[in-house]
Amino acid sequence: MSGLGWFLLILALCSAIAGCGRSTGINWSSPSRDLEKSYLLNDIPFFPQVESQCGPAALAMALVWSGVPVSPDDLASEVFTPSRKGSLQSAMIGAARRHDRIAYGLSEPEALIDEVAAGNPVIVLQNLGLSWYQVWHYAVVIGLDLAKGNVILHSGTTPHKEISLTVFERTWARSDYWGLLVLPPHRLPANAKEKEYLLAVSHLERLGRWDIAADGYTTALSRWPDSLPAAVGLGVCLYRRGDLAAAEAHFRDATVKFPHEGVVYNNLAQVLIDRGNKAEARQAVLTAIEIGGPLKADYERTLEEIQNR
Amino acid sequence: MRKVRSTAKPVSFFLAILMIVIFTPYQVVLAKMVTAETLLDAGRVSDARAYVHSVLSREDVKAALVAKGIDVREAMMRTNALSDAEILAIADRMESLPAGGSTGETIIIVSLIVFVVLLVTDIMGYTDIFPFVKKKQA
Repeated sequence: MSGLGWFLLILALCSAIAGCGRSTGINWSSPSRDLEKSYLLNDIPFFPQVESQCGPAALAMALVWSGVPVSPDDLASEVFTPSRKGSLQSAMIGAARRHDRIAYGLSEPEALIDEVAAGNPVIVLQNLGLSWYQVWHYAVVIGLDLAKGNVILHSGTTPHKEISLTVFERTWARSDYWGLLVLPPHRLPANAKEKEYLLAVSHLERLGRWDIAADGYTTALSRWPDSLPAAVGLGVCLYRRGDLAAAEAHFRDATVKFPHEGVVYNNLAQVLIDRGNKAEARQAVLTAIEIGGPLKADYERTLEEIQNR
Repeated sequence: MRKVRSTAKPVSFFLAILMIVIFTPYQVVLAKMVTAETLLDAGRVSDARAYVHSVLSREDVKAALVAKGIDVREAMMRTNALSDAEILAIADRMESLPAGGSTGETIIIVSLIVFVVLLVTDIMGYTDIFPFVKKKQA
């Protein structure tokens, strides 16, 4: 094994030892939230699960709510792993992206309240058994009745299942509070964090879903107008989908807005050279190199490329 | 012999051209746009480095390191030498500890740092504490 391999292995062991003392417990009664209120999302469709296929059913509920017409059957081949009689979390996330939706993981357990209050259903992973007898189960949180101390779920074969917060919290904690939002690109999570949201969008970009990713970046810019990664992401999506004129205009604006960021000059240079404007492209990339920064090597490669044309 | 030559000529001509085509440094020009993902990753790494630095600069951590006979500046320089993946792993580990400078936390951080410093120096071949580390050939 390599040095790095051992390093990571031992680091993992350290965390296993240190992880035992972790304090748990959700602070349901934070002062910023209205305790008396109950929330119920009425627009979440329900699909009863067949056999052990709670994953496809839960994902289908969230996807249909977000505007993608699918059935659990359609999703079974994408998320269900027959040999494990279940669906892996990564497969759930991947499938949401394959259907052009932004998969955003819940950053902290308390965010569940904000998301449900904002009208977003949350897919949660529970262990209904015990730590040594595991019964993993996906359900969709569709409501909270904090006054009565209940969570309302679409779960298994039961729509609108009410269970107590205590039981829910215990079963949810065993998955380390795994929760997933499946959102159309124009809808931000209630508790959106800039970096996490942009990373979620960038995965769609990597899949080549330029239009959806562009919408996601536009949404991000409406919330964080000064976000450099969002501005860059939108420009790259415009460029990738072949809209060179729009990409050029976008990066020109970006150089005005972010005059001290080399990356926007570098990307502008790339668009310009593709549009046959070699002189200006050279000028732009030279500015990028002059600004420098950790990505300077990339800018120098762009310059080389421009000179080779 | 002449026949061989006359057939070989076009063949060798063809091969010569083929070789030129193959070996000419012809680059397929690919767009090298910097993506949002690259920016975000670069940001994460520099955040992690700054975070580890800030932990190392904490008074309680410093004191505990000194008590263990470790030069804080040297420890800092060695953590600087860690790769991006390694620094991210350490920052993750430190961040998931319960907040607030409790003694337990300081002990864990210090043992983490001691471990990192010794392991890295082991890999570099300066020390020989962990038997499983394959030494860098001098």
